[in-house]
Amino acid sequence: MIYAEKQITIRGEHLILNNLRALFWQCERALIASDLHVGKSAHFRKHGIPISVNVQHNDLDRLSFLVSHYQAKKLIVVGDLFHAEVNTDMNLFKTWRAEHPDLEIILIKGNHDRLKHVVYDSFDINCCQQELNLQPFKFIHEPELVDNEFTISGHIHPGVLIKTKGKQRIKLPCFQVSDSNLILPAFSEFTGLATSNNQKFNTYHAFTETAFFEF
Amino acid sequence: MSKTLQQSQGYKIIEDWMASKGNVPFKFQEQTWAKYHNGYSGMVVAPTGFGKTFSVFLAVVIDYLNYPEKYKKGLKLLWVSPLRSLAKDLAKAMTIAVEEIGLDWEVAVRNGDTPANVRRKQERLMPDVLIVTPETIHLLFSQKKNSRWFKNVNCVAVDEWHELLGNKRGILVELAIARLLKLSAGTKIWGITATIGNLEEAGKVLIPYPELKTVMITAKEKKKIKVVTVLPDEVEVLPWAGHLGKSMAFKIIPIIHENNTTLIFTNTRGQSELWYQILLEADPDLAGLLAIHHGSIDKKLRNWIEDNISEGNLKAVVCTSSLDLGVDFKPVDCVIQIGSAKGIARFMQRAGRSGHSPYEVSKIYIIPTHSLEIIEAAALREAVAERRVEAREPMVLTYDVMVQFMVTLAVGEGFKAHEVYALLLSTHAFSMLTEDEFAWAIQFITQGGNTLKFYEEFHKVAKDEDEIYRAKSRRISMLHRMNMGAIVSEAMLRVKFLSGGYVGMIEEYFITKLKPNDSFVLAGRVLELTHIKDMTAYVRISKAKKAITPSWLGGRLPLTSYMSHFLRKKLSDSLNPGIRERELKFLHPLIARQSECSHIPKEDEFLVEKIHTKDGFHVFMYPFEGRLVHEVISALIAYRISRITPLTFTIAMNDYGFELLSDLEIPIHEDNICKILSSENLMDDVIASINAAEMASRKFRDIAVISGLVVQSMPGRNQNNKSLQSSSGLIFRVLEDNEPHNLLLRQAYTEVFDQQLEEVRLKAAFKRITNSKLIIKESNTFTPLSFPIKVDSLRQSISSEKLDKRIERIQKEVFKKNKK
Repeated sequence: MIYAEKQITIRGEHLILNNLRALFWQCERALIASDLHVGKSAHFRKHGIPISVNVQHNDLDRLSFLVSHYQAKKLIVVGDLFHAEVNTDMNLFKTWRAEHPDLEIILIKGNHDRLKHVVYDSFDINCCQQELNLQPFKFIHEPELVDNEFTISGHIHPGVLIKTKGKQRIKLPCFQVSDSNLILPAFSEFTGLATSNNQKFNTYHAFTETAFFEF
Repeated sequence: MSKTLQQSQGYKIIEDWMASKGNVPFKFQEQTWAKYHNGYSGMVVAPTGFGKTFSVFLAVVIDYLNYPEKYKKGLKLLWVSPLRSLAKDLAKAMTIAVEEIGLDWEVAVRNGDTPANVRRKQERLMPDVLIVTPETIHLLFSQKKNSRWFKNVNCVAVDEWHELLGNKRGILVELAIARLLKLSAGTKIWGITATIGNLEEAGKVLIPYPELKTVMITAKEKKKIKVVTVLPDEVEVLPWAGHLGKSMAFKIIPIIHENNTTLIFTNTRGQSELWYQILLEADPDLAGLLAIHHGSIDKKLRNWIEDNISEGNLKAVVCTSSLDLGVDFKPVDCVIQIGSAKGIARFMQRAGRSGHSPYEVSKIYIIPTHSLEIIEAAALREAVAERRVEAREPMVLTYDVMVQFMVTLAVGEGFKAHEVYALLLSTHAFSMLTEDEFAWAIQFITQGGNTLKFYEEFHKVAKDEDEIYRAKSRRISMLHRMNMGAIVSEAMLRVKFLSGGYVGMIEEYFITKLKPNDSFVLAGRVLELTHIKDMTAYVRISKAKKAITPSWLGGRLPLTSYMSHFLRKKLSDSLNPGIRERELKFLHPLIARQSECSHIPKEDEFLVEKIHTKDGFHVFMYPFEGRLVHEVISALIAYRISRITPLTFTIAMNDYGFELLSDLEIPIHEDNICKILSSENLMDDVIASINAAEMASRKFRDIAVISGLVVQSMPGRNQNNKSLQSSSGLIFRVLEDNEPHNLLLRQAYTEVFDQQLEEVRLKAAFKRITNSKLIIKESNTFTPLSFPIKVDSLRQSISSEKLDKRIERIQKEVFKKNKK
């Protein structure tokens, strides 16, 4: 799989940003991702909007690649692992989980994660209702400012809008970093982008299929 | 039908009724009655204000009076009108007529504004006459057991057909008529239209049925239109758009006071907000007598304004195309058009809003916003005199509407595949539909795509054992009904006061660029944004003096090809204007200057200007084909030049021409100009020069919504389908990756070629250019023709205050050079 990486250091910790939409925390050997929205394509299909199951396959293939590439021991999902109800896409996730039995999965529940406990238990996922503290970071789903803490979150699907000549606009997903937080791009490719940016306080690590750009 | 019309009892009753009110039928009305009497379908072409409604309506009444036995209980006349706002008044006029004639008919309206209890009542027993929008009929089609309502329809009338032809709402009408003919054999179809360039075709699109006898009835009566161009005090030799604004306001005020009620038309919502402020500043006494009306203002407020125009309480209303059509306001005796109307049909339509009763003269003033628009005014005057009105090209093979229609039928009573295929083929829009394309559509709505295993759990439409396709899930049926129609609006937010009360709508795109406490103008008020929540922007009244005027997307009207023809002609005439050409004579200083430092292109000439300033090397070309076409031509020319020498360009354009700017000399000269402007490999080069995929992705927005791929978020009821939100861009990408043969994708590209690139017009333009004499002029200063384009490009890069100063500087420089 083609990928690009970018190293950043936050509070003394080395983090590798990957353009396959996740980051790797070396010291914890943890892969961190957000907004996987597993089951979204099937949810759409159930409601009469034909979205191919390939969308789900691609997301999970990417996740598999990242786990094996970094030899990750755990996967931290900062919210919105599942999009909606239990549906056929979930069977794919079940198969995927069976292929990674030793991977520890920690989920900080997001606004979409409203399934019954038994579902998460059946996938052997440790759920945190609100937040997870792993010094020096605090993991939460929706970004908020917490005094003296560095938060890592998701939820907003950050992106940048680049205007070029001839009225062409390019939108790219990105990692959004400030003094006190890092916001991950949505892992699922079947998600939109929020591009209202504030360049004063944030650095945007935007990426294409082959490279990173900083704004 | 042994009796002739005039001998019939029905005719006599109507004649007496009209005479009792002191009216005599117009000839075209009588012709319509006679043809209807003889079993014809057809189209009535008449200007507004001459009782075209009564031509068709009374035809049905007379027929009923003569042959009551042919009419059964329930719906007899289905009246389709594109505008909701028209329905109420139409129903009133018809009800009064019916009562005075002494019929026991019920006339009713049904559209999005109709309360649920009234709808339920209608569903139990349909009124005799029902006034609907195209969308409403399709909503009726999506109800269970709906065909019983239409079994005895004697006539379907389509009002303002010219407004529907040429867009997807027209296709909804075509499909509705095809189905109504199936349900009620012997139904007559009548269209009512204003004059357009392709009447013959318009008739065939509405009634493509060989089994029907058809006729076209054209009213001899013509609306007299008086066009007055208001000239500024002096000619600005270097014109720029918008500059004349304030000084012209003082010419508008007296016109407002001379007349009872004036409608002031602007071309964009942003302009209307600006002019509302300008006029109030120019004459503060107008406060309370001047109103503003456009599509983004809250409906209640708009209705209030419309009522007050009718009652004559307002002196003037600044408006946009929101008042092009609709109820006729009796007190309006004057219309002002700010800037060019960019199209002849639109201009005449607007003029017709004043002096509404027959034989009254419609009066329209043109206020140019820069000097070159005075030429456009002259062109408009000539076009109106010749009554050369644009054609409206009907759309064909709009798969999105087809898919929507098929699901509508499945949600309603269910359908059999071969019956729907036959029905589609009988319409104009889908007469070329192939079996493969139809099979694709069936596959699309039943299994999602061509590989079944990719679309597990897909539920929309399923075939039952009786071979009938039906929608099974109630939730899918509900979703479909909520999203039906062919009007796709931009993502809009409601604007609401913190203290309660709606102001209007604003595009999400605009409001998300604002920060809290920023001020903007809407509905003539300066508002301060406090916060955004649940698709609603909360505001309070702002004390700020300066505020941003929102730019609504798609605001700019493109110049029509007929207009561009007249414009070239006028410009060509301008050096030797005729005695009556007041505008051209006035413009003489500008024309003279253009002629001196460059050239005035004749009708058979094409002008290229090369200008070198300290900004760099400019090339200006003037096809006069309108902004949209120039966007394509300029990209194409840039592409062809960069094949000679790799160069980077900045491109700017207006309705007259475009500019290519580069920091290096642009290699255009007499030897290669023919090749650069050649029509050879035209479309291939165009495709190479633009990003077709991105354009198609933008076009796909409407298609995705109409075909049900994107669930529209509705302000007010936004909570419903959050888990189904997605953008059309995302769906476009997913489809391109997974279903490259999806016909909706193909349609997006076709629409790019037809509407964005205007392939036909583009080819015609290049044919004209290659047959023209190509003239290259060099200059070291901006010319009157090039200057407005230059200003437009400056506008994009810097804020408006600095803009004024910079333009002044450029103007001074030009004159300095000139004096030397």
